Amino acid sequence: MPPRLLTPYGIRQENPTAMFRFLVRRTLGAAVIMLIISALVFVLFYAAPRDPARIACGKVCTPETLALVRKNLGIADPLPVQYWEWLKGLFVGREYTSFGHCPAPCLGYSFQNREPVLSTILDRFPTTISLAIGSSVVFLIFGIGTGMLAAVKQGKTLDKVASSASLIASSMQIYVVGIFATYLLVDQLHLLDRANYTPFTEDPAKWAAGLLVPWLVLSLIFTANYTRMTRSQMVETLSEDYVRTARAKGLSRRTVFFRFAWRGAMGPIVTIFGLDLGTLLGGAIITESTFSLQGLGLLSVKAVSTNDLPMLLGVVLVAAAAIVVFNIIVDSVYALIDPRVRLA
Amino acid sequence: MSLSRRNFVIATTVAAAGSTLLSACSSGNAGGGNGTPNAGATEYTGAKVTVGSKADSTGPAPEIPGAKKGGTIYGIAPDDFSHLDPQRIYFAYNSTVALLLHRSLTGYKIDSSGKQKLVGDLATDTGTASNGNKTWTFTLKDGLKWEDGSELTVDDVRHGFERAWAPFITEGATYAQAALTGKGGKWRDAYPGPYGGKHLDSIVTDKAKKTITFNLAEPKPDFNFTVAMHSYAAVPVKLDTKEKYDKQPVACGPYKIKAHTTDKSMVLVRNKYWDPATDSIRNAYPDGFEFDFGVETLAGTDRLIADQGNDQYAVSIYKGVPAERIQKVLTDPQLKKRSFNGLLTGSYYYWINTKRVTDLKVRQALIHAWPLQQIRQIYGGPSAGDFATSILSPDIIGYEKYDLYGKLTKPQGDPDKAKALLKEAGKEGMKIVYAFPQDPTYLKTKVVIENALKAAGFTPIIKPVDSTSYYDQIQQINNSFDVMWGGWSPDWPTAFTMIQPLFDGGAIGNGQNNVSQTNISWINDAIKKNAVISDQQEAGKAWAALDKRIMQEVAPIIPETFQRRFYLFGSKVGGAQFDPNFSATLLYKTFVKA
Repeated sequence: MPPRLLTPYGIRQENPTAMFRFLVRRTLGAAVIMLIISALVFVLFYAAPRDPARIACGKVCTPETLALVRKNLGIADPLPVQYWEWLKGLFVGREYTSFGHCPAPCLGYSFQNREPVLSTILDRFPTTISLAIGSSVVFLIFGIGTGMLAAVKQGKTLDKVASSASLIASSMQIYVVGIFATYLLVDQLHLLDRANYTPFTEDPAKWAAGLLVPWLVLSLIFTANYTRMTRSQMVETLSEDYVRTARAKGLSRRTVFFRFAWRGAMGPIVTIFGLDLGTLLGGAIITESTFSLQGLGLLSVKAVSTNDLPMLLGVVLVAAAAIVVFNIIVDSVYALIDPRVRLA
Repeated sequence: MSLSRRNFVIATTVAAAGSTLLSACSSGNAGGGNGTPNAGATEYTGAKVTVGSKADSTGPAPEIPGAKKGGTIYGIAPDDFSHLDPQRIYFAYNSTVALLLHRSLTGYKIDSSGKQKLVGDLATDTGTASNGNKTWTFTLKDGLKWEDGSELTVDDVRHGFERAWAPFITEGATYAQAALTGKGGKWRDAYPGPYGGKHLDSIVTDKAKKTITFNLAEPKPDFNFTVAMHSYAAVPVKLDTKEKYDKQPVACGPYKIKAHTTDKSMVLVRNKYWDPATDSIRNAYPDGFEFDFGVETLAGTDRLIADQGNDQYAVSIYKGVPAERIQKVLTDPQLKKRSFNGLLTGSYYYWINTKRVTDLKVRQALIHAWPLQQIRQIYGGPSAGDFATSILSPDIIGYEKYDLYGKLTKPQGDPDKAKALLKEAGKEGMKIVYAFPQDPTYLKTKVVIENALKAAGFTPIIKPVDSTSYYDQIQQINNSFDVMWGGWSPDWPTAFTMIQPLFDGGAIGNGQNNVSQTNISWINDAIKKNAVISDQQEAGKAWAALDKRIMQEVAPIIPETFQRRFYLFGSKVGGAQFDPNFSATLLYKTFVKA
């Protein structure tokens, strides 16, 4: 009986602590992954033929001044010592001669602007979250909606239009569409506000107005992907035996479509969405650059171009954490939706 | 700053978002007065920098016709200022805001046509030299105050010099430190810094007479230019917060910082204790400035083109119009009216590694072969700048234009002449390793350079180098490059600041700026001799002659372009003009139109 498959009691019946054990195991795994990522970033950063100390060393950069800069930046020690100090800072905080105490979790101070990395990231994160959540709402509604319509009207004009439009939209580039949309909707027609970020807590209306153009542009590409994915999943599910059985038993087309087929098709979409959202929370680099939105994406680009190791590490860790966490969430949700997937 | 290091980094950051070609040389108080104000003009019309009198140094600054007080000017820029502590300021873009907050003993008074005079800023005049240019004395003006109302004293001026020894100050200029200690690059060893209560023996202050005297270890006839640098601006002894000063400096200029969110925004308001009667340089018409950072150059330019809302009152703080929008700005009369332009302070060259390319004839052949016109076409055509034929740039006192290698008549390159020279040298088919920073613009120019080298009978080997470490790599004396792209911006407009660091045999070393590794005794001697000529106009002539002789007899560089930038401003901004020192908008002359 398909409706029963959608409730999670199968899991509870099987093993009440499975979810807890699953979460503990995955969290530990995630911690190891983060550790490996941070060590890799450290090694790769120093493997590149560039010296972050040179930026803060004057025009005539004598070896003495360079050594002083290295000391000031905390990069005079051997690599393993630096990494250990950084790691320790995460758990017990760090003392800086020039800035004082940096409480745990201390991600260090930026080489570039000498601000605490954590507070900079926390300052930028709301912009990235707003961008990710807002565009997700738009592309989920439009993407899944259009995909379902196309599936229902399979082979008909609507399906063809939706499929072609999504193909065109998915081949667009944000930096082209973004500039064009700003030119048309903001500069020429004055329909929408220029992209800018106002905190939601300050003024929700301004928050939405300032982010509408980036949401629409970012969603355009994602909507297309979700339309195509939803359509193909729905078409596939609609041809499943249990759907035919449900129809044969006399359930209405609408009931079958929304109660059985739709849910059945959602599994892979939830998986992809979880990963997409995780990636978006790590910073939408091109979107943020195109619209000059000060989120994590733009921060990471600047960190790379200015050899800012502490900032780079911070942003990479947040991005990695977002992807790892959403992977765990996806796996958990997937198991809830589809008991054929076990948490073992 | 030498070789545009920091600004180069910015340029590549912006390039990642698809915007500009190479950026301005960044520097301390550099350059002179040739910011040709006519849009599209490609000939120099400005005059050289002159040294002003006491009357020129006396405030207030001459009124700008039609200007009125009040309102807010908005500024947009891709990056926040990296430093606000004056002693940590060297890069040009930091100086754009430093001009509003900080003051040095001297400064540059710039008229509406871009002509400049060195005048006293905190000092009553440009200083008095004695003892064969080894002793310099400056007297402070009356009525100088900090933003808290306390008096700005000679001790505060001295503190601005002594702070350079603090271990956390590593970014600023080092000319004065070397001159005050006579220890060259080892100046740090000579003094422990001001925080232990000790003062430099070589600076003498007299609070009652308001004088500060510098006893230099060697003659420095242009020391009054040196002290104009923001690296030597005054800092109040009593309000110095050491490392934290970089985030919240104390102003003595016309504005002070009201709010600053790093990398996002900055709000400046009037410093009510700044007295215009003490300042012959700054007008300060707006009640305040609001800066918006993180706006990429292309997006910022589009905002200024759209001219909506507050952007009507906005200027680009230090970024010029990117190549993608230049034609639009030049061909739309309305936009052209809202633009100004000027030549960057520095020059762009290709260094020839004289340790590897040892034959003069080969170096001359390279100059003949170089396709200046094709390169400039990639930069954006004639509006992108003028061809360079000399070491010195037009801003430098004494600059003389010459064309030893016929580059102005054959800017596309002269492969026949180059081939003939190569044949004479017996080096036909010689391998030439050309290095450049990996960046969209230079990936294009390397194609025309490669073609020109082939046409001239060379065998080019092209070496793209990671752009963020480019200068570190070409500044290694054992590098494997024959010809290297690069730029140089002087720190003040005397030729010493261009020729000494680039061609003095003593400036060869890893991380040093004599990239061509030129070490010739007559050049070294001439540098020593010219450096102590008191009269700057006389010195200029001697330097210009040296410039020409170096290019004729050594040919260690291929001069490329004196680059031009266009800047846009909103329709309600008045007084916007080019800052010839820092290649930016001269903020203190702007005003809100009625």
